[in-house]
Amino acid sequence: MIAVLGLVIGLVGGLIIEPEVPDAMRPYLPIAVVAALDASFGALRAYLDDIFDDKVFVVSFLSNVIIAALIVYLGDKLGVGNQLSTGVVVVLGIRIFSNVAAIRRHIFHA
Amino acid sequence: MISRTLFGRRAPVASEHTPSSWDLLERVSATALDEDYATAAGRREQRPDGRRRQPHVLGAVAVVGLGLLVMAAALQTRSAGPVEEQERGELISQINDREGELSRLAERSEGLESDVDDLQGTAEQIGSRGDELLDSLSEHQLVSGAVPATGPGLRIVVDDESEGVSSTGGTILDVDLQVLVNGLWQAGAEAIAINGNRLGSLSAIRTAGRAITVNYNSLTRPYVVTAIGDPDTLEASFAETPGGQAWFDLETNYGIQFDMETADELTLPAVPEERLDVTYASRQGELP
Repeated sequence: MIAVLGLVIGLVGGLIIEPEVPDAMRPYLPIAVVAALDASFGALRAYLDDIFDDKVFVVSFLSNVIIAALIVYLGDKLGVGNQLSTGVVVVLGIRIFSNVAAIRRHIFHA
Repeated sequence: MISRTLFGRRAPVASEHTPSSWDLLERVSATALDEDYATAAGRREQRPDGRRRQPHVLGAVAVVGLGLLVMAAALQTRSAGPVEEQERGELISQINDREGELSRLAERSEGLESDVDDLQGTAEQIGSRGDELLDSLSEHQLVSGAVPATGPGLRIVVDDESEGVSSTGGTILDVDLQVLVNGLWQAGAEAIAINGNRLGSLSAIRTAGRAITVNYNSLTRPYVVTAIGDPDTLEASFAETPGGQAWFDLETNYGIQFDMETADELTLPAVPEERLDVTYASRQGELP
C-alpha cells in the first residue's frame, strides 16, 4: 500500500512542480526511467517472493539509474550512443519481462 | 550439468563449452531478480529477530523518486512536441514562401522571354534596314565619286592643234572641256575623270593661270577624258549631243585633236576628300 501511495505522490508531485531537467541530462532521462522501472519491478517481485529488502531496493534503484545514464553518456562520447541505448533497453526490457512474468505467476498462480 | 554462474546462482550451463549469445540472454533473464534480495533474506533468516521491518520508508522514498522520474520524462516528451510542431509550421511557411517566389520568378521569366522575342524582332528589322541603308550608301558613294569606280566606257584623248596644221591656233579651253563633259553626262555617262581627276558634285573645270584645273589639280596636255557608261551606246549618243557637235566643229575647223575609243574596263579614282566636304548644306527630310 505504502508503495502505491508513494508512486501516486511521486506522479502528482512531478505534475505539480514540473521538475526542470537540465539540458545536459535530457537525453539520459528516458533510459534512467527504464532502469528505474526495472528496479521497481524487481522490488515488486521480491516483495511477492517475501524477500523484499528496503536497502537492497534503494541501492539497486539508484545504481540502475546512474549506471544506465552513465553507459549512454559514455556511448554518446564514443559515438555509439544510439547502439548502447538500444543494448541497455534490450537488457532492461528482458529483465522487466521476466520479473513481470514472475509477478504474474505469483498473482494468478499460473 | 550444473555450475555456478558469475553471480553465484545455480544455472544450467550447457553452453559452457560453446558460448553463444543465447547464453547471455538466458543469463539476463535468469538473473532478472537482483541476487542481493536473496542474500539479504538469507542474512535475515540467520538473525533471531529476522522479520521484515515495517514500514518500508526507504522503499517508499525510492518509489516517489520513480514517480518523479516518470513524470519528468513524460513532461519532457510532451513539451518537445510543440517545438517540433512549431518547427514544422515554420518549414511549411518557408516552403510556401519559396513556392510563391518560384511562381513569381517563373512569371518574370515568361515576361523576359516575350521581351527577348520582341527585341529579336526589332533587331531583325534594324538589321534589314541597315542592309538597305548600306546598299543605298554604296550606290550614293559611287554616284558622288567618294569611292573609285570601274566599268566599261569611253576613253577620249584630246589635244591642242598640232604644230603647223592650221593657222588658227586651236587651243583647248576650259569651256571646251566643260562642253565635252556635259555632252558625256547627257549621253549617259555615269562617272567621268579627266587625266585621272574624278569629277564629283563639287568639281569645277576652270582655267587657272595658263593651265586648266580640275579639283585644283593642274592638267597637262593631252587631256584624257575617261567616262564609264554603256559601251555600245555611249559613243553614238555623245555624237548626237550638242557637246559632241561642238567638238566635231572644233576638230574640223580648229584642228583640235580628238580620239575616241571604247574600253572594256576603265578604273576611275575617287574624288579627293576635300572636294566632298559640305559646310552650309544640310540634308532635308529623314533618311530614306
